[in-house]
Amino acid sequence: MNTEVSVLYFAKSAELTGLKAENITVPSNISSLQLWQHLETRHPRLSVLRDQVVLAVCQEYVPLGEQLLTLRDGDEVAVIPPLSGG
Amino acid sequence: MAADGGQDLITLTTDKLSADGVSESVTCPSCGAVSLFIGTTRDHFEGKKVIRLEYEAYSPMAESELRKICREIRTKWPSVRHINIQHRLGVVPITEASVIIGISSPHRSDSLEAVKYCINTLKATVPIWKKEIYESGEPCWKENKECLWADTGKDPK
Repeated sequence: MNTEVSVLYFAKSAELTGLKAENITVPSNISSLQLWQHLETRHPRLSVLRDQVVLAVCQEYVPLGEQLLTLRDGDEVAVIPPLSGG
Repeated sequence: MAADGGQDLITLTTDKLSADGVSESVTCPSCGAVSLFIGTTRDHFEGKKVIRLEYEAYSPMAESELRKICREIRTKWPSVRHINIQHRLGVVPITEASVIIGISSPHRSDSLEAVKYCINTLKATVPIWKKEIYESGEPCWKENKECLWADTGKDPK
């Protein structure tokens, strides 16, 4: 089953994609790594971030890996490059 | 939220920050100590002259992560009274403050330790990003070494 989620891009990832946000349709059960790979397929320039990025799903950090997500329509996914606050 | 009226004040703003304002906001009659941290912007990095900084945030999540830090502070240092964390967003000119943390407690040890914990944890967990704009050369998105997924975090030295 597919769901439509919104993806937010920040900092370097926004520059690489040229986007702040977009809606995408993905399987509702998907690993965080598969979700990232889906984004890389849409935006190949994101690949430079592959080893230095995590996702935030519904405002909780999720590293790229086998962890299975259960996504629902309207869930917010953010691409999180290395932090530099403070 | 703390017991007996202790406040967590969290602000993300493009306005200039005020150390006096933060200090006054956490001062209270039962506290003998107010500890402040001010993070300012440096004018150089690796020999390059920085002309300004630009900050961007995933604001709703930055606020929720800052609230988590406040809860952690109150668990570790229950005597802490008020916490005020302000982070500037947008363009921050050189030498101006990008972050101010103020914490009050009855005795100085707790507020001093809590402020240190607060800035260290903020740098590791709060979704805010800083871009340095140089006099010449390409701008650079910085990476905190405290951030677990930064490249510099994997440096064995």
